[in-house]
Amino acid sequence: MERSKAIKQAAVPAKRPGLVRFFASIGQYIAGVCRDFMEGDLWVKLSALLWGSSCAARGQYVKGALLTVLEAVLAYFIPVVFWPYMSKLNTLGTVQQQRVYNPDTRQNEFNDYDNSFLIMLFGVIGCVLLLIAVVLWLRNIRAARAVEVRAKEGKHVNSFREDLTDCFGVKFHRTLLTLPVLGVACFTIIPLIVMILIAFTNYDRNHLVPAKLFTWVGMGNFELLFNMTADSTFAYAFGRVLAWTMIWAVLATFTCYFGGILLAMFINNKKTRGKKFWRTCFMVAIAVPQFVSLLLVRNFFADAGIVNTLCKNAGLTDWLYSIGAIPTANYIPFLTHPAWARPMIILINIWVGVPYQMLIATGILMNIPNELLESARIDGANAWQSFKSITMPYILFITGPSLVNSIVGNINNFNVIYLLSKDVYTTSDQLMANANANEVDLLVTWLYRLTQDQSNYKMASVIGILVFIVCAILTLLAFNRMIKGDKEENFQ
Amino acid sequence: MKKILALVLALAMALSLGSCALAEDVSLRVWVGDNQDIDWINTVIENFKAAYPENNYNIEVGVQNEGDCSKVVLTDPTAAADVFTFADDQFNSLMNGGALQPVVENAEEIIANNTPESIAAATGSDGMLYAYPATADNGYFMFYNKEYFTEEDVQTLDGMLAKAAEAGKYVGFPMSNGWYFYSWFKGAGLEMHVNEDGVTNSCNWNATDTPITGVQVLEALLEIAANPGFKEADSDPFVAGVKDGSIIAGVSGTWNANVAAEAWGDNYAATKLPTYTVAGQQVQMASFSGFKLVGVNPYSANLGAAMDFATFMTNEQSQVLRFEMRRQGPSNVKALEADSVKAEPAIAAIIAQAPYADVQRVGQKFWDTAAALGKIVVNGNPDGTDLQTLLDNCVAGITAPAEQ
Repeated sequence: MERSKAIKQAAVPAKRPGLVRFFASIGQYIAGVCRDFMEGDLWVKLSALLWGSSCAARGQYVKGALLTVLEAVLAYFIPVVFWPYMSKLNTLGTVQQQRVYNPDTRQNEFNDYDNSFLIMLFGVIGCVLLLIAVVLWLRNIRAARAVEVRAKEGKHVNSFREDLTDCFGVKFHRTLLTLPVLGVACFTIIPLIVMILIAFTNYDRNHLVPAKLFTWVGMGNFELLFNMTADSTFAYAFGRVLAWTMIWAVLATFTCYFGGILLAMFINNKKTRGKKFWRTCFMVAIAVPQFVSLLLVRNFFADAGIVNTLCKNAGLTDWLYSIGAIPTANYIPFLTHPAWARPMIILINIWVGVPYQMLIATGILMNIPNELLESARIDGANAWQSFKSITMPYILFITGPSLVNSIVGNINNFNVIYLLSKDVYTTSDQLMANANANEVDLLVTWLYRLTQDQSNYKMASVIGILVFIVCAILTLLAFNRMIKGDKEENFQ
Repeated sequence: MKKILALVLALAMALSLGSCALAEDVSLRVWVGDNQDIDWINTVIENFKAAYPENNYNIEVGVQNEGDCSKVVLTDPTAAADVFTFADDQFNSLMNGGALQPVVENAEEIIANNTPESIAAATGSDGMLYAYPATADNGYFMFYNKEYFTEEDVQTLDGMLAKAAEAGKYVGFPMSNGWYFYSWFKGAGLEMHVNEDGVTNSCNWNATDTPITGVQVLEALLEIAANPGFKEADSDPFVAGVKDGSIIAGVSGTWNANVAAEAWGDNYAATKLPTYTVAGQQVQMASFSGFKLVGVNPYSANLGAAMDFATFMTNEQSQVLRFEMRRQGPSNVKALEADSVKAEPAIAAIIAQAPYADVQRVGQKFWDTAAALGKIVVNGNPDGTDLQTLLDNCVAGITAPAEQ
């Protein structure tokens, strides 16, 4: 309590907007580098050209050599390997592939053609490397000056061995973080930049590499998504898919959430016998891989599936037809008609998702301070009152962040929707069909089919960006509201 | 002594290197469409090695569904197999993606050996042959159970539906599947095909000035779909219905021939598609003919060998073998003449349907849109939307520009 107030006060003096502060600090840093360069001796000035020369001059030979090698590597790779790609980033290539068959060698001979995708990929990697090189260069000058000052003041200059020891001592956090940061940069940030950039190109089935080139189209794809023109139905489909995605995310999350808590409470109830047995029963649903159970369930509920046969034999199908709930008397369209498929998918998701939530809730229920419930009982509260005022707020407080997490997870819940609708669901909404979407599609499944079936990478990328924006806004809002509050004291 | 030994060894090595250079090592990767094709392709590979003894072939077989082949190949053509099998509906995508090597060395031979329809399916809009026809059995036709239908009955859809309704059974048709849905409109003389660019489509299904208008076709379809003897049945429901006896006739292809033959025994029969009633006339249902084609990857490191293998894999001997081992109908004219091939009801039905079958030249924008209209027909147009509007929407989707 004391601590959180102190943090709040410390955070107050932030006056200028974040972006301004960011650029101001960059400016200060560069000014510092310039000052170091001007004030430094000859070795410092030389190390702007030949990294590590200042270090070497103060006796740090290994460090100096390593810096020079690093410089040489960057100076070789950026201009020689990456520049040919970087220089074409503005057009993404102009030379289209041409191939000629050579009857003598019985091989195709290709011209020196451009590959737009490789240009984009290696161009981005080159730019990132260039940025890293500039940052390293600036840091190198600062370090050169720092070591000069230390040497002149007669302070101790670290030997290479001491530097190494530092890596496992005072600077151990840096050592630990190196690998994760490199991994994130290589496998997340660079691909992410490339994927985002594709949203601004015309990379689709007409422009597939390597036979053809694609190029920049600016905001054209975004306009296509938001402008409902006569022959584009993307805007229509996007609105529908987004609405269903949000409905699905909220319903799927809350049904599983409350279902799991209720289930956990029933099993944890003092009067329930064979707690372990019941818990195991529900765990089995987790033990079977999700896609196996989903594909099985899809077959159960297919138009010619076992559930339909049972319903038909029991007369349920005919009765539903007689009251007009289904369009044909042959089968119940469990997974093939939007009015049936949407509730079915949510129900099936409850069956798949509740056990997880039950596990989490079981753990939390065991942690509720017993005195709270005890004193409530002594005060005469009934079961519902203590659930409403103690159990539920407690669970909500603890699981709040994970609730937000699971809403975002459900927005991107590819498995359930894709596996239940694949090859089965055909839309009867013509405008949706024209945009290759259907009524049960989430944004992610639509995106997947656009890339896999239609090779429409540009629109998929646009939709991906929008999914990110939706998730980011939701998360920010929810976290700010849920976690900012000082609810902790309620439970102290 | 040691020096002499070394000299002898060096000579021996030089000789062995020289002889290696004569029998060149050639590696190829081949994709077939199904696990069940493996025995057949292995036999073909043995025959191929025997026919080309001068090289040392190392051929690796992989399985890649023929229906999805273009997606996998186009993701990265440089990493795809040297020789791959695909269904002819993907010909356009593959050709436009630059993933098919034209038949440059022996086009005349291939053209002379295969049926003209199969050659048409493998020929690009520029008139060049881009693939090697492998089978000619990938189209659809009518299966029926002789216990319920006479040969007279199966001439008209009206007759079949009446018989089925009478017996409390169904005639199955995959209405909400664009590949089959095409049949009705083309039969009534309305057109839908890909444009010169190989990507966008032309379509006049919403025409009002043709002898039979689009609205008339749609009216006829709504009537057919509402018939008690009609059942919407794509592959899985068709198989289920045939097995449990509720479906006594249906439109499907050779891939379900075994299912029907087993369920109906001696009563199993197949024939061309029937006629149906539209605007008071009987019109013959059209269809897409279907072929399996073999493509050669232009980025292959052993392009010449890949072309040799593709030629060999689709020659008369290999197609006859394919029919014997896999019951798949040949496209090779000589292989087609065999009595055993002609005796196969499914293949006879394909040949009977051939005059009314079109080579499938369809842009990707067709499928989802046509399926949606089929679905509306199956549901009986529950919203009561104006039929012309339905057709206009459909044509707008099918002919949408490529940018989308």
